[in-house]
Amino acid sequence: MNEQVPAVADDAPEACRTPDAEERSLWRRVMDQVADHCRSRSLFVLHYCTGCGAVELPPTITSRFDMERVGVSPMVTPRQADLLLITGYLSVKTLKRVILSYEQMQSPKYVLGFGSCTINGGMYWNSYATVKRLDQYIPVDGFIAGCMPRPEAVQQVFLDLMARIDAGQANAWRDYYLDYNRYLGHQAALFGEDWHTPTDVVAEARHYGHFGPGTTGVHTARLETYTEWAMSKIPELLPERGANEKVRP
Amino acid sequence: MSQSKGLPSSLDVILHEIPGVRMTPKEGRRIRVDSTPDSLPALLELLKGRMGFMHLSAISCVDWPETDEFELVYHVWSHERKSLVSAHVSIARDPGRFVSVYDIHTPAGFYERDIHEMFGVVFVGSPNLRKFILTSWDGPPPMLKSFDTLQYVNDTYAWVDYRPEWLRDIQGKGGGIVS
Repeated sequence: MNEQVPAVADDAPEACRTPDAEERSLWRRVMDQVADHCRSRSLFVLHYCTGCGAVELPPTITSRFDMERVGVSPMVTPRQADLLLITGYLSVKTLKRVILSYEQMQSPKYVLGFGSCTINGGMYWNSYATVKRLDQYIPVDGFIAGCMPRPEAVQQVFLDLMARIDAGQANAWRDYYLDYNRYLGHQAALFGEDWHTPTDVVAEARHYGHFGPGTTGVHTARLETYTEWAMSKIPELLPERGANEKVRP
Repeated sequence: MSQSKGLPSSLDVILHEIPGVRMTPKEGRRIRVDSTPDSLPALLELLKGRMGFMHLSAISCVDWPETDEFELVYHVWSHERKSLVSAHVSIARDPGRFVSVYDIHTPAGFYERDIHEMFGVVFVGSPNLRKFILTSWDGPPPMLKSFDTLQYVNDTYAWVDYRPEWLRDIQGKGGGIVS
C-alpha cells in the first residue's frame, strides 16, 4: 500500500468517510508495508473450480507439494478469502457466479487466472459459450499459462504474487473500483442490459476512497434506474409463469 | 445368457406389429431400430410395456443440412435384457415439430427441453420448453449446422495478443519453451 491513493474526482459526491490528512504519513506508510508483508504470508485461497484445472489443486494443497509451506491455505467462503483462483474455462453462466463471488471478497483481494482458458479461451477458443478474456470482466493479478499448469507452476505464481504483495505492487483490485464503468460495460455486453449485482460497487469505491473518473459512466448510470425498471417488470413476469403452467399436461 | 448375444427373438415378433419399423442388430448388446415418426410413440410404448426397456437413457439429435432433416435418436435400455435399443426417426427441419414422449418416459421432459434449446425442435406436449442451460442467450439455437460459431465468437468476444515479453521474463529466469 505504499502507493498514493488516487485523487478523488472533483465531481465525485461527498465520501462517506472524510479522508484523514495524516493518512499517508510516513508512519502510516511504514505500517502499510508491515501489513503488506504480513498479508503476503497468509493468503487464503478460494479456488473456483470451474474447469479441469481443479485436478491440479489437490496435489498442490496436499503433502506432495504442500502449498501451506509458503503460507497459502484453502478457504471455503469468498468473504474470508484473499485470493480467487479461477481454475479453468468460464462459461457465460459461471462467469456471473465468479463476479458475484469476487464482489463479496474483502479488499485487498487478488485474482489468478489458472490455465490458458482464462487468457484466451484455451482449447475452447471457438466456443460460443466460453468466455475468452477473464481480465475484461474482473481485474486479474496474474495468469498461469498452460493446459494444465503443473503444481510447480502454481506454486511459482503464488511466490511471485507474494513478492508483489510484499512490494505493494499487487493492486489490480483497485482497478475494479477505479474503472468500474468499463468492467460493468463488458459484463453487461455479455449478460444483457439488465445485469446488476447485489453489491453497490460505486458506494464502496466512495467509502474506501477509490473513487476515480472511471468509476461511474454510462453503464453505471443504468444501475441507478434499475430499481424502477425491476418494479415495472413484475407485472410482465407474473402472467408468463401462469402461461407455462397451462402447457403442463 | 442368450439375449446378450444378438437379438432376442421376441423383440422381432413385437416389432413386426408396428408398421414402418426396421430393426438392425449392431455389435454386442446394441440394436438399431429405424422408425417412421408416426410409429415412434407406439414403438417406445411396446418396448417399455412388453420388453422391459424401461430406462430412457438419452434422446440425441443430429442436424442434417443435406437432407434438411433432424434425426432424433431415442436410446432405451433394458435392465433385464441388458441391451440397448436406439430408435431413429427423421423429421423435417421445417417446421421441426415432433410429438413429446413425456407421457411414456417422464425423463424425456429434460431431454426434449435440451434439444429444443440447442436445435429449436418443438416437442408438442412437452411440459416445459423454457430456457434450460443457455441463460442470457438470445441467438439462434447454437447446435444448428447453420449457426456460424466462429463468426459469433469473433463478434462477441475480444482476443488478447500473446506478448513475447512474458516469455523473455521466463527465459531470463532460466525457463522457456521446451523444443
